[in-house]
Amino acid sequence: MSLLDRPLSRTGSDTVAASAITVSKIYGRGETEVRALDDITVDFSAGRFTAIMGPSGSGKSTLMHCLAGLDTVTDGHVFLGDTDLSTLNEKQLTLLRRDRIGFVFQAFNLIPTLTAIENITLPMDLAGTTPDREWVDLVVETVGLADRTDHRPNELSGGQQQRVAVSRALAGRPAVIFADEPTGNLDSTTGAEILDFMRRAVRQMGQTIVMVTHDPVAASYADRVVFLADGKVTAELADPTPDAVLDHMKSLGD
Amino acid sequence: MWRLTVRNLGANRARFAMTTFAVVLGVSFVVASFVLSDGLRSTFDDLSADIVGGTDLAVRPVSDFGDPIPLDESLLADVRAVDGVAAATPSIVGADNAVLPVKADGTTIATNGPPQLLFNWVDEPALSGFTLVDGAAPDEPGEFTMDLDAAATHGFEIGQRYDLITYDGVAADFELVGTTSFGEDNATVGATLMHVSLPQAQELIGAEGVIDGVAVDVAPSADNAEVMAAIEGVLAQGSVTAEVVDQATLTAEQEDEFAFAVTIIGNVLLGFAVVSLFVSVFIIYNTFAIVLSQRIREMALLRAIGAEARQLRRSVVAEAAAVGLVASVIGLGVGIGVARGLTAIFALIGAEFPEYPTILGVRTIVIALVLGVGVTVLASIMPARAATAISPIAGLRDGVAATRGSGTVRTAVGLVVLASGAAVGLWGLFLSSPSTLGLVLILGTAAVAVFFGLTLCGPMLARPITAAIGSPLPRMLGPAGSLATGNAGRNPRRTSTTAAALMIGLSLVTMGYVVGESVKAGLSNLLDTSITADYFVTDPGQGGFSQAVADELAASDEFGAVTGFRLDTARLGGDATEVQAVQLSTIDELFDIGVTDGAFPGAGAADAVVLHDSLATSLGVGVGDDVPIEFTSGYETMLTVAAIHDDNTVINTPLVTDELFDRAGAADADLFVAASVVDGADEAEVTRVIDGLAASYPQLAFDTSDEFQQQFESIIDNSLVAINVLLALAVIIALIGIANTLALSVHERTRELGLLRAVGMTRRQTRRMIRWEAVLVALFGAVLGVATGIVFGWGAVTAMPPETFGGSLRIPAVDIAVVVVLAAVATLVAAWLPARRAGRLNVLDAISH
Repeated sequence: MSLLDRPLSRTGSDTVAASAITVSKIYGRGETEVRALDDITVDFSAGRFTAIMGPSGSGKSTLMHCLAGLDTVTDGHVFLGDTDLSTLNEKQLTLLRRDRIGFVFQAFNLIPTLTAIENITLPMDLAGTTPDREWVDLVVETVGLADRTDHRPNELSGGQQQRVAVSRALAGRPAVIFADEPTGNLDSTTGAEILDFMRRAVRQMGQTIVMVTHDPVAASYADRVVFLADGKVTAELADPTPDAVLDHMKSLGD
Repeated sequence: MWRLTVRNLGANRARFAMTTFAVVLGVSFVVASFVLSDGLRSTFDDLSADIVGGTDLAVRPVSDFGDPIPLDESLLADVRAVDGVAAATPSIVGADNAVLPVKADGTTIATNGPPQLLFNWVDEPALSGFTLVDGAAPDEPGEFTMDLDAAATHGFEIGQRYDLITYDGVAADFELVGTTSFGEDNATVGATLMHVSLPQAQELIGAEGVIDGVAVDVAPSADNAEVMAAIEGVLAQGSVTAEVVDQATLTAEQEDEFAFAVTIIGNVLLGFAVVSLFVSVFIIYNTFAIVLSQRIREMALLRAIGAEARQLRRSVVAEAAAVGLVASVIGLGVGIGVARGLTAIFALIGAEFPEYPTILGVRTIVIALVLGVGVTVLASIMPARAATAISPIAGLRDGVAATRGSGTVRTAVGLVVLASGAAVGLWGLFLSSPSTLGLVLILGTAAVAVFFGLTLCGPMLARPITAAIGSPLPRMLGPAGSLATGNAGRNPRRTSTTAAALMIGLSLVTMGYVVGESVKAGLSNLLDTSITADYFVTDPGQGGFSQAVADELAASDEFGAVTGFRLDTARLGGDATEVQAVQLSTIDELFDIGVTDGAFPGAGAADAVVLHDSLATSLGVGVGDDVPIEFTSGYETMLTVAAIHDDNTVINTPLVTDELFDRAGAADADLFVAASVVDGADEAEVTRVIDGLAASYPQLAFDTSDEFQQQFESIIDNSLVAINVLLALAVIIALIGIANTLALSVHERTRELGLLRAVGMTRRQTRRMIRWEAVLVALFGAVLGVATGIVFGWGAVTAMPPETFGGSLRIPAVDIAVVVVLAAVATLVAAWLPARRAGRLNVLDAISH
């Protein structure tokens, strides 16, 4: 039985996986002050695929970095589940990232000296925990990497590398997976494969994904799109299509 | 282009700091060896001038071979009678340590330090170089003087009475009547200089009626050359073999004598300096290779907009030259400090240098600059070629992998170099028969070839060896361990070059240990198999001692066979050689020297000689044949070969009888006595006899064969300490190289480190990963170093002649393991900074790097 044959098990949109409450992020001081996030409040429901969109400098990446515990906020609170990230120190944040968050970046997602399977289980190896073999095998099989697990990143294509990265994010069954322009470096066909897989991971495996993108097509794979501009949420769109996203962006005068 | 060069230097200041440091260390050692030898040479040149003083001419005995026979003191009157001689004074000097003053507390001054010399007092300041500072001249028997610094240092006071120890034992009750100064400043370089009257000196030294020479002051009105000719005329009349020389010759000879020792010290230091510099080359090469590969896109951009590869190359080489220049200038300053530091360290392990002025000669400055700049530029040429050879488009594309593999051509070249090095070494060892120096040069060349060959093959070895060494790490350290292992093997060229520096240092350290241990084993083996004597008497001061010691032992009921060893030079079968006089009739009870033909003669066979095999062969004689012998005294006779023995033993000089030496007027003092204790001897009685002798001859060492062996071993151990101190610098440079490479790698892998941190690697895990990568690189170098060191040690032991106890290879595994562990621990420390930096990277900045 493949993972994707499982019945839909959406956990419903009531549980909040991650949230930002009146968060501000200010870089610099005085004259050079940049308000990357401006008193922003936003929820991300568990079991949903949310896209964050916005023009350059809108604060979308900053928001994701703050939600993921990669960056600290100037004001306000960031929650992962019930955990207030602003109360955690550097070490606790590291452990939180390791145990409860998954990451997919645009590029350079893999450690070149480790094989595909070693990259996938890396967060668990770092934690010293034993990966759930069955689950990992299922993930690997689902992304179609079963015969490539012993290859090193430089022996894999760009799409395969990104699939390894997604598998790594999934392997630990994290509370939230944050993806930063995951298809930015891929051609459209390969990108579509990755996005399709991410969507199925949410719908069929019950995972939660928050993705930053500026590509309307990529955003259309999400259940919901949050639009950011000047560090504020300007609009939301449920069950988007590429055209709807594009229209909305045009209406913003982007 | 030049502006770019300057900007680059500024931008990469931190990265070049480490390179600069490596060059500074290498150059400073070179500078130190020159500063030390120049300073010592200056000190000894001054000393030479003081020693010769106002002597215009000197009359001295000569000999075709060996030490000349002293002159009869009657010659003095003949020289004084020559026209134009204003003054002529006799001189006699005891050998170093021949007469030792006993301090008020009953101890003597250490005999392994500066010399302790006894002269006859001459009341003619122009000819003696000495002046009286306090008290009176030592005119009467039982009086002596000492130079004021030695007197002050060792607590000798005018008016007090002291014992003097001579070759004949304690000469009691001498009064210190005055203190003297040698030259104006008493620049004795730490020596203890004593004077007594001429008859007293002759008695103490055991040279009644003779003198070592005559110093002549030529009258101002007379012509030096004429007086010299006149004295030559006088000498020609008599039967004495003597010559007369002028002041210039005396000074030059004296300077040469000192310069020889200074040159040896300087050359030894320079040798180690070259090793350090050689090691630095690898570090510099690596730094440039890494910095340039990181700038490959910048290079590609410049190429794309029209820069020629040659221009870029020149710019890089100019950067190297600038770094080399700065480093050399710093190295000049640091070198002076290193010279002082080495002096202090050597003083700590008992090898004291005299005071010397700090001289930074033009030659030193030129050599430092040429070496520093040259080495840096040379090391940068290859990386510069590699970086600029890349096509503009390839360079601009993202992710041009700097991780090149091992390279088949490179490995092939490496194997060829390695094989030729090995072949040259083996040829030198087994097929050629060169001189010692030639063999050292051949083996040195072979070693350099082996180092280069291994460095070229290194990339091929780096991955498997680091993987093997790192195999227990994942279990010990988890993923940080497997990542460390992966990182150590990911850039085999870099790992290989980095490790090469440590390989060279540790290889030489290992070789030293192997040779030292093998010599110890050879000695121990020799003592076990060929020495049956129970006690040895030696003179640490090397001055020799009275035969009365051997006689007294022989007279005791507790001791059986006893023999002394007297050494002199004689012509045996026409060739000058060292000959030892022993008790030929009993020596086989003390030594088993492997007689292959004939037998030791019984008592009374005074004209017998025992030869070792190779000498017998070269003389073309066998047992029963006659060989002519001629001593420096002119005494000639025929000896009969009584026995021939193995080459590979403790004794490698012809052995003759005491009777022959006595008859020939050859050396009187024993240098060494061996004695056996009779079976069933009363131990207390043995101790009483030994203690009694030790009281009469406080300067001598009385050792059992175990103690004797330990003494030898401690000499070897001390030399190993000295060698390791000098090699430590090369090892330190290598460790700095590892830290430097690592710091650059951390910079290069910023994004990767960011990713690791993002997916949950803790700072501690990050630091651990970096530190253990360093340790793996170091251990890779250590494995190669220990392996080559053992092979080189084997080569050296094989090359050593049998009488130096070579031949039996021993590998001191524990010592070598300790060195390897120390190197690994030092690497952990050296990697602390780059590891800390890696741990502190800001995750977000790192990811977006």
